[in-house]
Amino acid sequence: MWRQPFFLIGFTVLSLLLVSSFAYEWLWGTVPQQVMFLMEGDRVVEAPPISPNWEMPLGSDPFGYDMLGKIILGAKYTIIAALLVAAIRMLIAIPLGYILAVYLQRHRAWIGGLADSLHYIPLSVFAAYVLFPVLWMPQGGFETTLWERIAIQILIMALLTAPIVAVLIGNEASLLYRREYVMAARTLGANRLRLVHRHLFPQMREKLAVLYGQQVIETFIVLAHLGLLDLFLGGTKVSYDPLAADPPMSISYEWAGLFGNSFRYLQGAPWLPLAPVAFISIAVLSVSLMMEGYIRSKNPKVKKRKLSVKEERVIEWNREELRKKMVRLANRKESGGVPHDAN
Amino acid sequence: MKFLLKFVCSIIGIVLASGLPVLVAGFVSGEIRLRLYAETIKNVLASLWPIQDIAIMNFRAQREMPLFPDIFAYITYSLQILFAALAVAVVLALLLTVLTMMLPDRWRERVKLGLYFLESIPDLLVIMLAQLAVIWIFKKTGILISSIAALADSPIYWLPVTCLMILPMVQLYRLSMLTFQEEERQLYAEFARSLGYSKALIVLLHVFRNAVTSVFFQSKKTVWFMLSNLFVLELMFNLPGIILFWQENMTPEVFLITVFSFFLPVFLLYSIGEWFFLRRLYGREVL
Repeated sequence: MWRQPFFLIGFTVLSLLLVSSFAYEWLWGTVPQQVMFLMEGDRVVEAPPISPNWEMPLGSDPFGYDMLGKIILGAKYTIIAALLVAAIRMLIAIPLGYILAVYLQRHRAWIGGLADSLHYIPLSVFAAYVLFPVLWMPQGGFETTLWERIAIQILIMALLTAPIVAVLIGNEASLLYRREYVMAARTLGANRLRLVHRHLFPQMREKLAVLYGQQVIETFIVLAHLGLLDLFLGGTKVSYDPLAADPPMSISYEWAGLFGNSFRYLQGAPWLPLAPVAFISIAVLSVSLMMEGYIRSKNPKVKKRKLSVKEERVIEWNREELRKKMVRLANRKESGGVPHDAN
Repeated sequence: MKFLLKFVCSIIGIVLASGLPVLVAGFVSGEIRLRLYAETIKNVLASLWPIQDIAIMNFRAQREMPLFPDIFAYITYSLQILFAALAVAVVLALLLTVLTMMLPDRWRERVKLGLYFLESIPDLLVIMLAQLAVIWIFKKTGILISSIAALADSPIYWLPVTCLMILPMVQLYRLSMLTFQEEERQLYAEFARSLGYSKALIVLLHVFRNAVTSVFFQSKKTVWFMLSNLFVLELMFNLPGIILFWQENMTPEVFLITVFSFFLPVFLLYSIGEWFFLRRLYGREVL
């Protein structure tokens, strides 16, 4: 796995983002660099939002804060949240899936139908609908702390599609359950727990890993969609001031918030919404690189094909010997049964 | 019979989901409001009948407005865009797959890898790039290909459909590539090749029929994915669709109506498709 270039590239990119995020906070604190205007000589050239230049590769937001700094600072929240959501979802779904396959064989039809209903609800819409009471600041301010809200959001997002994943795992496991080797183990008297532990789980380990990767990607996308609806990770600060209402604000610098705050600037300052979305794309891409690398390291199809084409010494030698014998035989026939090299 | 069971289960699941915010709000303040949850669901179901009487507070008019029949305009617009995009995506994906199957093995693998990475582009990026491209072309040439935001009286069609179609097309393309290749390894395809039929004939006549069935059964997830995309699309293009309407009125009733307006057509499509394909499959076995 660690020798696969795809896996390594993805892993490096993702961990670089995380490490730089923590390093930035450690070195410069939680507030990114602020530039009020760009001077050229003693003339003001540009006021915020400043377009991308050498000093600030991604420009700055309408308040003069460096975009790159904001994105780096926010990386840890978004990436860790996505990894956690997917991990919790798998932890819930794997036992449920096996219980479904092993103990509830008869009830699979209707449980599957119930979980199937989630397939008709657009996932982002559903997430927004359910999370709205948690994340939208009520008139009197939040009753919960930031970390409580983040924890609740992660838990709920994990639970939302856990039924679908559980049914998926259950279907896969019940296919395996009918295999002959499992039957044999059952006849020998293995109990169900042992079957899952020794036979079903090891067979599915790779599939589960790929499923985890898919869940991480899905979570990134749903977080971005929630940002579009002004529902940010860890809650949305809403100003109820009737006179000077600020736009809804994200409390941390996580990417969904950076994007949701700025997608209305698409025409005037396209770098504002594009930068966070580009970083989400990079994160998603590196997860899928890791998945592809993992799959390749587990079934090296490509190498096998090359092996079969590779010439075998023994076969070559046999072929050569055969050819010699045939030539000798043919010669013998031509000369009427008298061998050439008789004397 | 099986369809009926599925249908009933799905409806129950959706209704149960519609009350979830109550449970979540209770969870936040540290209590389990099961009774309130049951009550909400009961109220929602009670208010759904008679269906003409459902009213929604309209903030512009400052009074309650009946939901029906005005809401049908939103629903049809959303469904038109969804199904147009789905149809285009399916046709293009199958066409491209057949074309790619003609290529030598090595190129096929490259195409598949490329598609795999294309799949990971978020839909937001596609939509934003499309909007920026339209603006850029307008600035350069003065030709407005399509307006990038819908107004009340002039719905836009082809730009949203294009945006919505791209990612599902890529997904279906890769999916059907995998299925076609799997099918090509089967005995009957090898037999046909050994009889000397050309590659094009085998793929089009024999492999295509069997692979399409399998692609159909796997495409359900793509439709689910498209529903989420549609939501982003409506928000970013300001399309007068049902999801935008729901976003402005987040009540359990509107949630139920929104979900049912997708559920019924999609469920019908898949049930008919399943019945059709399965009948063909079993019919062949009997023969």
